[in-house]
Amino acid sequence: MGQLWESFIMAFKDVFANKTRSFLTMLGIIIGILSVSLMGTAISGINNTFENSMDMMGNDVLHLQKFPWFMKGGDWWDFRNRPNMKVEYAEKILQRSKKISFATPEMQNMGNIRYGDNSIQGVFIDAANWQLQFVNSLDFSAGRFYTKAEDRNASKVVVIGYGIKDNLFPSQNPIGEEVRIRGMKYKVIGTLKEQGKFLGLFSFDNMAIIPLRSAYSIFGRRKHMSITLKVREGFKVDEAKEEVRIIMRSLRGLKPVEKDNFAINQQEAFRQQFSAIKMGISGAGFGITALALLVGGIGIMNIMFVSVRERTKEIGIRKALGAKQNVILFQFLSEAVIIAVIGGMIGLIITTSLVGLLNKFFVASLSIELIIISLSVSIITGVLSGIVPARKAAKLDPIDAIRYE
Amino acid sequence: MALLELSNIFKTYKIGSVEVHALQGLNTVIEKNEYVSIMGASGSGKSTLMNVIGCLDTPTSGSYLLDGLTVHSNDKKKSKLDDNELAEIRNQKIGFVFQTFNLLPRATALHNVELPLIYAGVSKKARMGKAHSTLIEVGLGDRMHHRPNELSGGQRQRVAMARALVNNPSIILADEPTGNLDSKTSAEIMVLLDKLHSVGNTIILVTHEHDIAEHAHRIITLLDGKVSKDSKTKNGSKNKLINNN
Repeated sequence: MGQLWESFIMAFKDVFANKTRSFLTMLGIIIGILSVSLMGTAISGINNTFENSMDMMGNDVLHLQKFPWFMKGGDWWDFRNRPNMKVEYAEKILQRSKKISFATPEMQNMGNIRYGDNSIQGVFIDAANWQLQFVNSLDFSAGRFYTKAEDRNASKVVVIGYGIKDNLFPSQNPIGEEVRIRGMKYKVIGTLKEQGKFLGLFSFDNMAIIPLRSAYSIFGRRKHMSITLKVREGFKVDEAKEEVRIIMRSLRGLKPVEKDNFAINQQEAFRQQFSAIKMGISGAGFGITALALLVGGIGIMNIMFVSVRERTKEIGIRKALGAKQNVILFQFLSEAVIIAVIGGMIGLIITTSLVGLLNKFFVASLSIELIIISLSVSIITGVLSGIVPARKAAKLDPIDAIRYE
Repeated sequence: MALLELSNIFKTYKIGSVEVHALQGLNTVIEKNEYVSIMGASGSGKSTLMNVIGCLDTPTSGSYLLDGLTVHSNDKKKSKLDDNELAEIRNQKIGFVFQTFNLLPRATALHNVELPLIYAGVSKKARMGKAHSTLIEVGLGDRMHHRPNELSGGQRQRVAMARALVNNPSIILADEPTGNLDSKTSAEIMVLLDKLHSVGNTIILVTHEHDIAEHAHRIITLLDGKVSKDSKTKNGSKNKLINNN
């Protein structure tokens, strides 16, 4: 053990005796580890954000709409010519269905919100009935959702997302304050907890929820509408979907030969689409990583061959003094692994500083698992690229080696 | 029992398609605490014999016993030692002193002397103590932390001798130890070598200089890979005389 430790220390000194060369050799590994750790962090960040977004959508929620989320085949005009969704469907489905517990029509629109002199453009305004709080499991940081009565009376009350609260009321309790939505006065009655951005692009936090009836006067009745349905607990989403389909066909009076003229969307569709994207990212990431590590590994191997040649005499002396093959092997293998691991660590340090940048788009952090994986990959690369030169060193004939100048 | 016993040693190299018969049936016996010079013209097999005795190389045939160990024998049952076993014997039994010193250039004198102890698996503390005292023994107590390029030729050879001594070897094998030194420094090194012999070490000195060889008590002269002459020197006879009294 002592001998191997000494070999390791000697290898360490040798790496630092040739700082520039060692650093240049590390570059490939640095890029490889940077790529694997950054890609891993990005994927897990995207994944977290995606799951958060999915949770907000609810995985037991069905979206009854005119268009499917991801059109596979079919003529856009066929979809376009379908009849629009109607507000009363929500009530009718709720009456007829056993498997749906809550239903709300939803109208969504962009608008601006103003409070005093401050205003925010491009707010996502969601108009729904009082059941929305049960359909989407809304988390409140303060206040409450609007009541059935407020909903029926088209009260001008609003629940605001974290982003709006943060912008309009940075250091003030917004509850009870009046904001203007498209010029109309609304009273803030609740604020939601932070949700994060959807795929780093679109924030649910930049959302305001108002009673559906109150929205008619600002959006009109003819806006795109969808019906959002919550599957009753204990029932499978697919069964509920089938039930809703049958109810809708009967509401629309469709004959058996006619195709559905509506779409029932669920987050599963997103998930499928997302996993394809994720595979694409990880595939590309894996490719870059493998290529960088291969180049890095060859770089280390090359420099180790140079190192063995340069130190042939030294190896001869060590062998004459009684160094066994495995001691010499270990010394050179250590050198390769040290170069690879230091390269890996530099890569990880760069990643850590870049994660801050990623965080501007979505919540991401470098996980312990990823650090362990990165360092393991470094060690393996070091061993694979160092083994051949190290074996060459270990097998040198002491007489020839000691005479080498 | 003899410390070193070589009988009927042959060594044949192949350089390309040419066979070189470096040793051709060499026989010799060296006792403990002997002081022997090996002489001979170049091509007489000196270096090859040196490598065989030092376990850096194994003979093609013949038997070699070192300190009770069979390093090589014609008996196939006692199989040949492998690379690692030879390394262990070199570490435990042989102390090398080379013409070109062969110190590690980037290591301090102390670390150079420590090296054989590292490979012997001696603990750090014991190693430091032993390396220290050995360097003091060769008169380099004030040069321990100098690197070879900060030392004179004579000092470098002293470091090499300390390194050879540090593991208490059975034989100190000095190959032209004064070959790269001026006459004054050579004399100093030879004084040190004589001293090492007088405290009980067995020394084998390979040289082509007669006055250096005369320091030993016995001179073995090689010719064409065989011992051509084996004689006592003046020192040797003197020693005998003192012992007889």
